[in-house]
Amino acid sequence: MGAAHTSVPRWPAAVPAVDPVARRLALLGLGARGAAHVQRWRAAVRPGVPVWAHTAARADDATLQLLAAEVGGARVGWRLLLAGPEVDVLAARAVATGLGALDSEIGVAVTSTRRRRVWCAHCRDTTETTQPVSGEVRCRGCGRRLHVYAHVSRRRGAHLGFQVDAEELP
Amino acid sequence: MTAVLPAPAATGAGEQARLVLEVSAVADAAPGIRTLTLRRPGGGLLPGHPPGSHLVLDCGGRRNAYSLTGDGMPAAEYRISVLLCPDGAGGSAAVHRWRAGDRVTATGPRSAFAPVSTARHAVLVAGGIGITPLLSHARAAVRWGRSFELLYGHRPGAGAHLAELHALCGDRLGVHEDTAELLARIGSVLADRPLGTHVHVCGPAPLIAFVEDTAGALGWPADRVHAERFSAADLDPGEPFVARLARSGLRVPVPAGTSLLAALEAAGVAVPSMCRQGVCGECRLPVTAGRPLHRDLYLAEPERAAGDAVMACVSRCADDELELDL
Repeated sequence: MGAAHTSVPRWPAAVPAVDPVARRLALLGLGARGAAHVQRWRAAVRPGVPVWAHTAARADDATLQLLAAEVGGARVGWRLLLAGPEVDVLAARAVATGLGALDSEIGVAVTSTRRRRVWCAHCRDTTETTQPVSGEVRCRGCGRRLHVYAHVSRRRGAHLGFQVDAEELP
Repeated sequence: MTAVLPAPAATGAGEQARLVLEVSAVADAAPGIRTLTLRRPGGGLLPGHPPGSHLVLDCGGRRNAYSLTGDGMPAAEYRISVLLCPDGAGGSAAVHRWRAGDRVTATGPRSAFAPVSTARHAVLVAGGIGITPLLSHARAAVRWGRSFELLYGHRPGAGAHLAELHALCGDRLGVHEDTAELLARIGSVLADRPLGTHVHVCGPAPLIAFVEDTAGALGWPADRVHAERFSAADLDPGEPFVARLARSGLRVPVPAGTSLLAALEAAGVAVPSMCRQGVCGECRLPVTAGRPLHRDLYLAEPERAAGDAVMACVSRCADDELELDL
């Protein structure tokens, strides 16, 4: 599969700005650099526009639940700005789009692409790794050696992983 | 007992079946609005379709698109409601002359105004005869248990399908005979709807513009707002350019006031076409060089920006030459 046809995200180089037509803003910063983006965004919001802002070390379950509550109660006119490592931003994005948010309502600033999550096609567990695309990782669920495939599920926020020697086995 | 369904007509790739239909009933839905029921002459199911689809009817020497008002499930009958346009090109007048038992030909159904299946809620806005595709949307939403509301504005006494709309929608229907009242209602609805809501509007151009502008000002992204227009606005004659056909090497001059489609046809190049007013998408041509000057209502914004396709019936070229993959 050629690199031209991959679902691995290519993030915009520029940090997204606060949309001036937004009637409510949700700001989520993951990690120290993500939190710094949230601070700058918050300062750029027009006075009178309500803001939900949250910062955390990681997009863990507790953080994603807080985000889900915010998205679930949102009305059209709402915008989400996310900042942090790709692995956390993808997880947060998946929560927002799963609750009806569109790409056009979400702005993303990725501060690092070092870590990724790999979803195992065999046991369906998810393993976090610093292995690159086409690298190899051991599944924490079933112990299989997984090939990190150049496909990212927007719904799961994870790369697809499958057994490295799946094609060679008899 | 075995039910025998008629075999579907064979169609070529990208080509749609021609339907021969019989008018089985004619009724007046409102002053100037005629509802026709169409069926296969021998009976049997007609193709199902996404809600908001239209049928292209051969009428009065023209091919006009009319919205199907059913919910889209395969059924024995299609229904359309046609407003008589006395100053039009004669298509609607021909339809109004049809009587029960008449045979007519059509293409379709074609879908260009479908509901968004992932929507959490749908706001349907209809102006005048623009109710027809939204009646289809409302029927499908009721059938599948989807959340929706319908705002219907029409001139006093000119409302079509009112009884069935009330029965179908109950308190999800708002009918307004006063334009200011309709617009105020649209404004208050767009100001407060859950994230995940999509708007579908069909009606006169100023109503569509109002909905798009109001939604935009209230922070609705454009991909939450879906419009179906009756026809393209009147277009200026445009600048002359040359169409260069990359495969045949042919160069076809397109003078001001002549469409690219008409110029190609005059040069003996066959281009499939239907509405000839930038709505249906039939005459889309691949562009390999030159900047298209898009004047159609069919291509979406990303397709326009890509610049690799042009609707030959209305669009032109911003450069001296437009190279087509023909």
